[in-house]
Amino acid sequence: SCSSWLPQRVPLRCSHWQSSLLEVRTSPPVRAQPKKKKKVDVKKEQAQKERMKKKLKKLEKAAPELIPIEDFIAPLKYSESNRVRSLPALSPEESERRVLLLKKWCLFKQKQDEAEKKAIKALVESQQEALKELRLEGEELYQAAIRRDEGLFPFERDGPSYTPPLPGYDPPEGKCIDVTKVYTQ
Amino acid sequence: SAAARRPWRLFGAMCLLRLPRITQPLEKEEEEVAALMQQVEGELEKSHYSDHEIRKLEEEEQLKRRRESLYDEDEARGKTVIMAQDLEEKWEQKFLQFKAAPRITDADKSNDRTSLNRKLDSNLMLLVKQKIGNQELWLLPQVEWQPGETLRSTAERAMATFLGDHIQAKVLGNAPYGIYKYKFPRAIRTENNVGAKVFFFKAFLQSSDLSQAELKADYLWVTKKELGDYLKSEYLKKVNRFLLD
Repeated sequence: SCSSWLPQRVPLRCSHWQSSLLEVRTSPPVRAQPKKKKKVDVKKEQAQKERMKKKLKKLEKAAPELIPIEDFIAPLKYSESNRVRSLPALSPEESERRVLLLKKWCLFKQKQDEAEKKAIKALVESQQEALKELRLEGEELYQAAIRRDEGLFPFERDGPSYTPPLPGYDPPEGKCIDVTKVYTQ
Repeated sequence: SAAARRPWRLFGAMCLLRLPRITQPLEKEEEEVAALMQQVEGELEKSHYSDHEIRKLEEEEQLKRRRESLYDEDEARGKTVIMAQDLEEKWEQKFLQFKAAPRITDADKSNDRTSLNRKLDSNLMLLVKQKIGNQELWLLPQVEWQPGETLRSTAERAMATFLGDHIQAKVLGNAPYGIYKYKFPRAIRTENNVGAKVFFFKAFLQSSDLSQAELKADYLWVTKKELGDYLKSEYLKKVNRFLLD
């Protein structure tokens, strides 16, 4: 049983104003406004809250502004006249050369695309033949082979560069500060 | 016994590819069109002057005016001005000081076909020397299938047999890419032992450091064009079907 003269450790309202329990307990410090203006204040506060709510509803109803795509907006300073290059006009030989070159390119790309499609076709045929032969050897082996490989994707690989990596290369130091504008809707 | 005897012996083989590290040289048409694109879109026709170019043009104008007039204000004040032209020369010097790694390596020059550092713009695949019957043949690494495993596991086992367990490779799926089927010579062929089916699987080599491996047998890393130097014609025909240039 606890002794009766020890005060209970109950958290008091406004107990941060009364640091020691041995102090004389007075009422908590009174704030500015006297109690007479209470009702009018409450009405004013309610009116303010309603006005805020109406504003919020209006903002929410309006369609969200589209975020501008910085890349598509050319800064005005680049459309000044002094920026335009002064170049000689294209000679007819040059335009002729360009047209013929683009036709040659068209043909080149067509052949490249056909070769690619042919290679893929050969790849698929080779695999189909292998799977056919495998099925003759046993159904479980075949089923295991046609099962999807869950570990295959996502597949990541760095593409080739023009020169191979230089062993022991010390790249120059520098800091990259990102200044892209971030928009929130 | 309950298990049916298979007339064909099954083998799993791995086509392990080291992928290219550098870009292939451009074809003539590609170079011509790249030059045209650079001229039209990149530097000359469709673009406007950049800030650096505007600065350079203004400085050239200033220099011309100063030469024509006799009054040389800046030199009287002793002020040194860094011109855009100076900056360009400084950048050019810095660029010339940098030496990139060569695209043609030492292994290319010495034609060291055991090196992975050769033919950096092509795919290289692993060939190993294996004993089949009483012949020593160059093949894609293969081992015989054991009951209870999938053929992909057989191929992976073949890779580990020749390169060790720590080889990092990404196997491209559970299905075989090709098959080579052959009958045993009449001397050993029986009704229950007709021949062999070799199933090929493909994998991409992930690690470039194979110093821990390669202790097991004679090996080579060769391109698709060089395969003909080592593989027999029927085998080569089947392998070529699933290899892209």
